[in-house]
Amino acid sequence: MSATLGSSTDAPARLTGAAGGAAGGAAGGTTVATPTLRALLGRSSFWLIAAACILAIALVAALVSGGSQAAGRALAGDNAAPAGSMALVEVLRQQGVTVTLAGSLAEVRGAVGTNSTVLLYDENSYLDQSQLRELGDLATRTVVAAPDFLALQALAPTVGFGGVSEFDTLTADCSVPAANRAGELSPGGDTLSIPPGSAHPLLTGCFASGTNTFSLVQVQNDTTGGIISLVPDARLFSNEHIADYGNAALALGLLGPSDSLICYLPTLADLPRTGPPSLADLTPGWVTPVLVLLILAAAAAAFWRGARFGPLVAENLPVTVKASETMEGRARLYARSNARLRALDALRVGAVQRLALAVGLGRLAQLEEIIGSVAHFTGRTPDDVRRVLVGAIPKSDAQLTALSHAVQALEHATGQAVRAGAAPAARASASASPESPPPPAERMDP
Amino acid sequence: MTLSGRFVLLLALGVVPIVLFGPDPKAATGILLLWLLLVFVLGGLDLALAASPRAVTVERMLPARVRLGESVTSELYLTNTGRRRLVGVVRDAWQPSAGAGRNRSRVVIPSGERRLVSLTLTPFRRGERRVEQVTVRSRGPLGLWNRQATLNAPGRIRVLPPFHARKHLPARITRLKELDGRTSVMVRGQGTEFDSLREYVRGDDVRSIDWRATARRNEVMVRTWRPERDRRVVILLDTGRTSAARVDNEPRLDTAFEASLLLAALTSVAGDRVDFLAFDRRVRGRVQGASGAALLSQLVDSMALIDPELIEMDWAAVPGQVRSITSQHALVVVLTSVDAAGASTGLLSVLPQLTKRHTVIVASVLDPATVLAAASRGGRDEIYRAAAAERALLDVARVSAAIRRLGADVVTASPAQLPPALADRYIALKAAGRL
Repeated sequence: MSATLGSSTDAPARLTGAAGGAAGGAAGGTTVATPTLRALLGRSSFWLIAAACILAIALVAALVSGGSQAAGRALAGDNAAPAGSMALVEVLRQQGVTVTLAGSLAEVRGAVGTNSTVLLYDENSYLDQSQLRELGDLATRTVVAAPDFLALQALAPTVGFGGVSEFDTLTADCSVPAANRAGELSPGGDTLSIPPGSAHPLLTGCFASGTNTFSLVQVQNDTTGGIISLVPDARLFSNEHIADYGNAALALGLLGPSDSLICYLPTLADLPRTGPPSLADLTPGWVTPVLVLLILAAAAAAFWRGARFGPLVAENLPVTVKASETMEGRARLYARSNARLRALDALRVGAVQRLALAVGLGRLAQLEEIIGSVAHFTGRTPDDVRRVLVGAIPKSDAQLTALSHAVQALEHATGQAVRAGAAPAARASASASPESPPPPAERMDP
Repeated sequence: MTLSGRFVLLLALGVVPIVLFGPDPKAATGILLLWLLLVFVLGGLDLALAASPRAVTVERMLPARVRLGESVTSELYLTNTGRRRLVGVVRDAWQPSAGAGRNRSRVVIPSGERRLVSLTLTPFRRGERRVEQVTVRSRGPLGLWNRQATLNAPGRIRVLPPFHARKHLPARITRLKELDGRTSVMVRGQGTEFDSLREYVRGDDVRSIDWRATARRNEVMVRTWRPERDRRVVILLDTGRTSAARVDNEPRLDTAFEASLLLAALTSVAGDRVDFLAFDRRVRGRVQGASGAALLSQLVDSMALIDPELIEMDWAAVPGQVRSITSQHALVVVLTSVDAAGASTGLLSVLPQLTKRHTVIVASVLDPATVLAAASRGGRDEIYRAAAAERALLDVARVSAAIRRLGADVVTASPAQLPPALADRYIALKAAGRL
């Protein structure tokens, strides 16, 4: 701290030099307590680097483990997990088939061409009958993996469910070329049944297990002439089972002939909209951005008001103890324990000392002398004075109040009597014989 | 870096374009992003164009001392050594008890120039009030974002005890002079010193005729007297835990300061030597061998830094401390608290050692609230309070009696009355020649 007038007068000279030469940096003389951004970064570099490392490790771990996890949907073309069908899709792509992954009927509609195959796997039964019918009419070939009841109703009303196949070997035994090339399928899957009586001309069943139950049913669409293949066991297309038996041959045979394949796994987007418009439909488009903006503004306002104007200043505060605390505490103790006699005694002892001074008997006078002298001055009987100053024992709060008032009244009366110069005879008779009436009720020591 | 209210307002104003031009969510989101970009680019620009608060150098000019209750001006010279004009706010971070009030000042400092920021300090606590840092917040030209830096600019100011009791000084000095025989009224004490011989004039006390001198000369000679001079007065202050208690909203210690300042002023006028010692378990303040004007300034200087310590007074060490100050006979004034008998045991146990060699006065503050409480007898609670107060007064009376029995003198009075009472007692002792 250079707080002298001398330094302030020659300061301008130094300042012009500093203004010309100083380019940023700390100004001479005054040190800056706030660290610069660079210093702050340098100081916390360890933590920054550590946090970055942890983040990188977490990312890498997520990527590595994410590839092997069965996280995607079953039979999804981009799912390499056992339940997915990435193997099949990749093989078809290598063979020159254009594979499109579709998530809604609209996408299928847009992607389907003149020579296309659609693979439908509606695991959650999102599609309704009309959508299924439309789908059946869209492409020349349609393969439905694990058709549910609605799908059967829409696409092949005569076909029913046949339960789980109990045969150990499933052989093609039909006229479908793809089935013939496959020869055998992995056993134990679901089957479909064709009613026995109805020799439906457009129905073909392959891989029979028992009477009229088949693991592959082909239906010819009577309006468009397209072929719909129903494969009740969806596992045939999965990465896990595609290489078993003749599964791969059947899958490639069913899905491969066309130029393009559309793998269609319906999503929520296919659900029809019903009911009144939702709140989101009714709100204008700017509501969400405005909310975001207002939240940002609130955060900025918090920064604005919360930013400290420099560090806090510490100050040692003094202790604040009232000297009368002990007195108050003692008074509360008296009151709580109803120490009437003790309290009254304290009042009496004080009063007796003051009375002794008032009537001119010294500090060391005997109690009986004081009582006699006070009785003479005030004209009361010594017994009455003795009762007030010593004798009476308070039994209740009312008595305590009365006695304490009586003590005060006695003091007052004595003071007045002494001041009036009363009872000279009494003073003469008092054995201690003070020189003159002292000033009344001086509390402190002489 | 800090934001301003203007920036918050600008950010919130983005609602208008979003609502006007963004009926569908995508457009609205686009406008939001554009607005945020605009606002933050403006803020960044503002920040980049603001003058650097780090380029400010600070000089301080402070008076070294101030009496409690008086005001001083703290001057802070800010020099902008940067190349840009600095517009902003400066906070001089004084401790709250320095009484700086609102310590934010707006400043505009062109490049290379210097500005004065003055602040009126009215400290409301005794002791050393400090300031360590100055914070400069520099505003950008748009007033959106600010640059802020805290600069080290330490300063301190010593706040001295107020010495309100000095109003009692003139009357006491007059009485001292009466003792001295300088005025026409000759007040003569018993134990005063022999001064000189002079011729008898009518009205002189015949008892002071010096018969031998009269025999040597042809005139009747009388002796003249003057009060003793060059006596020693030792003021011993108890800074232990009991000195922290407040009586009449003033710590006992501060009352003791007032009393010792008045006594010291008086004794230095009377020609006696004063030594001051503040002690609890170790020496907190000591003034020795000073006289005249230097005495009072040294006293207030050392008192300014003394605070009550929350420890018990070490009475056993007190005789040793007094002996280290003087081995001659002295007036030892002990400023402490005379309380219950239990708390005063230490004082009572060492008093004989002090009284054997010195004249001792024990001065203590008496709580006027206790006296008032003893006299008020309303309901049940007040009677118990009066009883407790009476009890406390009896304790004080008992301890005072014990102190007197040990040969020392006791002065008790309310905080306002203690300094003059102590001074009067000193004058009385001086008149009686007991110093």
